[in-house]
Amino acid sequence: MLRAIGLTKQYGSHTALDRLDLDIRGGDIYCLLGANGAGKTTTINLFLNFIAPTGGSVEINGVDVTRHPVATKQDVAYIPEQVTLYGTLSGLENLRFFAGLALGHELPRSRLLELMTEVGLDHAAADKRVSAYSKGMRQKVWIAVAIAKEAKALLLDEPTSGLDPHAAAEFSDLLRRAADTGVAVLTTTHDLFHAQQTATRVGIMKRGRLVESLDGEAQIVNTDLQSLYLQHMRA
Amino acid sequence: MLLNWIARREFLERLRDGRLYLAGGLVVMLLLTALAVGWAHQQGAHAEQVAAQAMDYRDWLHQDKRHPHDAAHQGMHAFKPEPPLSMVDSGINPFIGSTVWLQAHRQSEVKFNAAQDATGLQRFGNLSVGWILQVLGPLLVIVLGFNAFAGEREQGILRQTLSLGVSPLRLLAGKALALAASLAVLLVPAAIVAAIAVAAGAEHGERIDALLRLAAWGFGYAVYLGIFVFLVLGVSAMSATSRTAITVLLALWIGQAVMAPRVLSELSRTWFPSPTRLEFNQQLGAELKTVSDQVWQKNFGTTERWGRDVPLSKWGIALRLDDQASYPVYDRHYGRLWDTWEQQQTVQEWSGLVLPILAIRSFSMGMAGTDFSHHRRFTTAAELHRRNIQDLMSKDLVVHADPLGDRHFSYQATPDLWATVPPFDYHSPGVGWALWHQARSLAVLCVGLLLAAAFAAFATVRQRAL
Repeated sequence: MLRAIGLTKQYGSHTALDRLDLDIRGGDIYCLLGANGAGKTTTINLFLNFIAPTGGSVEINGVDVTRHPVATKQDVAYIPEQVTLYGTLSGLENLRFFAGLALGHELPRSRLLELMTEVGLDHAAADKRVSAYSKGMRQKVWIAVAIAKEAKALLLDEPTSGLDPHAAAEFSDLLRRAADTGVAVLTTTHDLFHAQQTATRVGIMKRGRLVESLDGEAQIVNTDLQSLYLQHMRA
Repeated sequence: MLLNWIARREFLERLRDGRLYLAGGLVVMLLLTALAVGWAHQQGAHAEQVAAQAMDYRDWLHQDKRHPHDAAHQGMHAFKPEPPLSMVDSGINPFIGSTVWLQAHRQSEVKFNAAQDATGLQRFGNLSVGWILQVLGPLLVIVLGFNAFAGEREQGILRQTLSLGVSPLRLLAGKALALAASLAVLLVPAAIVAAIAVAAGAEHGERIDALLRLAAWGFGYAVYLGIFVFLVLGVSAMSATSRTAITVLLALWIGQAVMAPRVLSELSRTWFPSPTRLEFNQQLGAELKTVSDQVWQKNFGTTERWGRDVPLSKWGIALRLDDQASYPVYDRHYGRLWDTWEQQQTVQEWSGLVLPILAIRSFSMGMAGTDFSHHRRFTTAAELHRRNIQDLMSKDLVVHADPLGDRHFSYQATPDLWATVPPFDYHSPGVGWALWHQARSLAVLCVGLLLAAAFAAFATVRQRAL
């Protein structure tokens, strides 16, 4: 579903991403770990065609992202680290707008409220202006947009950063439920605990290169992820 | 459908963040104030013109018995009608005067302060509805739209929106629609008030034409503001931050609203120089004398006018020949001068491709009936009336005074002769005439709109999401 082939991104002489190969299938939760500047967010941005690759290619559902930037986005939902919504609109109005953009048709209020409830926002919160929302609440609205979109793949950039443990656990549950329905998930994170709890596959990146891959929940659970991560960072 | 959502959301946000009320409210207040002032001025000027024209003709008719040439020297006055739409754009009218003296022998000076100042005068603005829309309209678009893309990019909303698979062009169209709707909410009610004022201010026979002119005038401004809608969105899409966007846009606004009109005015006069008033009068006087000499030489064997060589029994004929010989000279000199001013104006209109204010200013005045084309038409009509008066008076002299020989000057015409001169009854041309004369500036505005839309589309497709 999400595929990178020899994906490279250079900024002048600096190589942000070096010949990355990834193949993430439906049902996978792939966690990309790495220090700041390792190339995790660059990878996500390349999948979204927010930046152009210097070499290699990116495909979503078998379609080249660079050649079909709009069409390939129909199949993915993206959740950034910092979700921003229109502060002068309520949570429900934001959801109506963004879900409408994603689907091409307007969802009825009842369905919007259902989505809000699904992500843990009650009706009172739904009608409040987003300027009064916490980071977690804004993220929930955006997750509701992703659910409404019924995307085949999720691209998540540090999604649990700044969330309290309860919210992070809820978020992990949501990801697992999505993967169970066949959605491919690519998430970047610094949170080793979150990765170990959620991922079915893990990749560790360093200076733009994928230096370690763990495949399968059993291997991940049986690995001391923290030691492995630190070992690569110190090497 | 998608466009409506984007437009509706943008519009709602603009309503809630207060920009529309604050910036828009201020502009609407200014517009209504300018309209009220324009209305009062137009009504006052129109009433004065009608009264003065009637009084002047009454004075003409009530002359006592006198020599027709004395009456020709008294002449009449042509008062330029104040068109109904001058309440929204007074154009060049405040700078050129409104009265022409239809006197014997001479085509009166056009009431310009200086012969070379025709288009230069147009660079001065006054607080009219037209001026507000030309100068403050783009500023309003900038205030409402500078952060449409740049602000969302800074906040991160743009990348979220684009990640949903929305086509950048649809996003542009939705934002353009929202911006246009915001302007419409402010300006359509003001336009309705203006239409009521124009309909009420126009005479019965000219009401339909005045409203058609107002509709064309409004269309021109819609195109003009549309250019800025796309320009603002394009710059916003190209700018990394809102601060950059507003800085660039304000620089463009200052350039087009303040600096460019003055620079282009000077440039147009350099490319198509017009004579000074002194030069014009010297050249005109010299040719008048040459032509007059030829006529007198040919018909009376002398160049000494009104001398002993020509008997009084021929003074009526001499007057008529002398006047009629001068008509083509006036036509040639004034025609050349006016053509030069129109060439200067043409330069400014073409410059509207880059500086739309120059094109809309010309179009606005044209539709309001306060541009140079309308003034030229009025002046030409007044001159024709003058010639008619002269010809009627001279003809009467030929028939009644010349046969008296040495007693030529004892002849006194009765008021019946004065009544043969019709009143000066000038009507502004219709909207079709005005549109024909402003076709170039309207075409320039439309091309400008297409160019601005193309620029915005290019900038939006190429914009960075991050």
